[in-house]
Amino acid sequence: MKKPLKLLIIEDEKGLRDNITNYFNDDGNICESCDSLSTAIDKLSIYDYDCVLLDIGLPDGEGFAVLDYIKEKSKNEAVLIISAKNSLDDKLKGLNLGADDYLTKPFHLAELKARVAAIYRRKTFNSIKNLVFNEISINLMGRSVEVNHIPVTLTRKEYDMLLYFIANKGKVISKNAIAEHLWGDEMDMHDNFDFIYTHIKNLRKKLLDAKANDYLKSIYGIGYKFIAQ
Amino acid sequence: MKLSAHYNKAIIIITVFVLLAGGVIYFYTINKLGRNQLDRDLTEEFEEVVDYVNLNNKLPAQVDFDEDQTVFIKTSQLNFPLRFFDTVYNNPKEKKPEAGRAVSGLISLKGQHYKVFITESRESTEDLVQLIGIITLILMVVLLLVLFVTNRYILNGLWKPFYETLNKLKSFNISDNQGFPLKHDKVDEFNDLNQVFHSMSSRAKNDYRHLKQFTENASHEMMTPLAVITAKLDTLIQDETLKPEQFDQINDIYASASKLSRLNQSLLLLVKIENNLVNDAELLSLDGLISQKIRQFHELILTKDIQASEYLGEKNVTASKYLIDILLNNLFSNAIRHNINHGQLIITLTENKLVFQNTGVEKPLNDERLFERFQKGQKSEGTGLGLTIVKNICNLYHWEITYHHGDLFHTFQINF
Repeated sequence: MKKPLKLLIIEDEKGLRDNITNYFNDDGNICESCDSLSTAIDKLSIYDYDCVLLDIGLPDGEGFAVLDYIKEKSKNEAVLIISAKNSLDDKLKGLNLGADDYLTKPFHLAELKARVAAIYRRKTFNSIKNLVFNEISINLMGRSVEVNHIPVTLTRKEYDMLLYFIANKGKVISKNAIAEHLWGDEMDMHDNFDFIYTHIKNLRKKLLDAKANDYLKSIYGIGYKFIAQ
Repeated sequence: MKLSAHYNKAIIIITVFVLLAGGVIYFYTINKLGRNQLDRDLTEEFEEVVDYVNLNNKLPAQVDFDEDQTVFIKTSQLNFPLRFFDTVYNNPKEKKPEAGRAVSGLISLKGQHYKVFITESRESTEDLVQLIGIITLILMVVLLLVLFVTNRYILNGLWKPFYETLNKLKSFNISDNQGFPLKHDKVDEFNDLNQVFHSMSSRAKNDYRHLKQFTENASHEMMTPLAVITAKLDTLIQDETLKPEQFDQINDIYASASKLSRLNQSLLLLVKIENNLVNDAELLSLDGLISQKIRQFHELILTKDIQASEYLGEKNVTASKYLIDILLNNLFSNAIRHNINHGQLIITLTENKLVFQNTGVEKPLNDERLFERFQKGQKSEGTGLGLTIVKNICNLYHWEITYHHGDLFHTFQINF
């Protein structure tokens, strides 16, 4: 149904690298990883990838060099920077050098996956106009949703959430991760997840009303899962 | 007062003092010299009178002695010593009294004693003294004038490099990449000064750069382990064989990790604000930003069934959008989180103030420690840095933030 993504993960922290690799691999994607600037350049010189996850702080230099390399060789990889530096300068520098998105550590794997899916969609916007998942079809351009070819009206938050869930289908997503995705971490929503529940309830109801399968499953106390079948 | 003004003042005082003292000394010396000269003249006159009397055996006619006025008075006194004194001289030509000097003595003619008074005009001496006084005065004025002009043009010219350096220092901005230019001057002291400022400014810039690097490195070092924790938890919850109690534990770790991350971000933000590292100020419409925030917090406000009302006048501020966003986020979160269910939130914006009023606990907060780091309400789940950040952002833009409690409302007011 869907072509697997080829990913290169450039991250020097082994624990993080392994978890990212596993999280993406579970979905049938092909992940390669490396832990330094030089090995990253080596790999990029031989292979083509759909997307590169790039840590800026690498042991043998700043990750910006990878962006320079991709630009110089006119390669086509989408690049997502994952940086510990939440500084505006770095963000702007990265985006100016051709990165597609910038994610600050710490982040949730679900968020990372949703971002990768989004930038991949953007890169291939000309070929993919609709994101189809079973009976659900999402028109990415018009931001509209159809279930069994019948339009379903979703609020902006519900639409975002649906995309987020589909990008992370088959995965348990914590309420923390959903809250941060929908409201950003600056809003300080920590102690109150009631409104997430409300949004999910509404989304689920709208999908069920449109005769879609019941994909949204609540996982006791921790979060939700969008079932992959 | 400027340096040249101080210098002028000192010079003028010293000059006037020295010239006045000189004038006084002149006056006394000339006076004394003139008087001695007069006394010598008078002694001569007196001796001439005595000679005349001895030679001619009669008193001289009074007109015989030019300019001088001689008076003879018979006396029976036998003892009358020669003495000089100041008196009045009646100028016969001009018919007016003048200052005079006189001598008196005793002569005897044919057994008869006479007192002799010879008076001479002192006018010429007085004139001399006056002339000297005038010359001194003119000298004083000319000297002052010369000093004044000298100070104004030469001194100011000499100090010009100093003021240039001072102006450069005034516009010195530590976050500029531009260094302090080293300019060569012909005055050694100013060269030294420039040299010192040059090395000082480059050292300060260096330290500042290191601090910025440290800030970012600290962030990096702490955020990566946090990212590992979050990623491990995200992976762990995929295991559906876990029991609900274990999910509870994981939830707590999630909460702590996210709190730690927020805490770290807040501390780094504080460092940034305190070291003035955020300087992307632009002109912002505060009323527009607040309306936007009200929409953003709409759901939260609804969850607590808070009745929110806003009175927003137009207000533009020049500030960093990033910081204003944080400021408003913190004020909103604060006013909502510490609000009661079915409470109220009133936001007022005018040209010179922004006021957040919210209902909440009935007793007032400790307003002395409210804005200090890690001071938070007992039930607060926040980082305890929110209001500190608010205060620091206000300080950065020279706004004043105050808190008071009354009529059931907690009021935070920012005066622009």
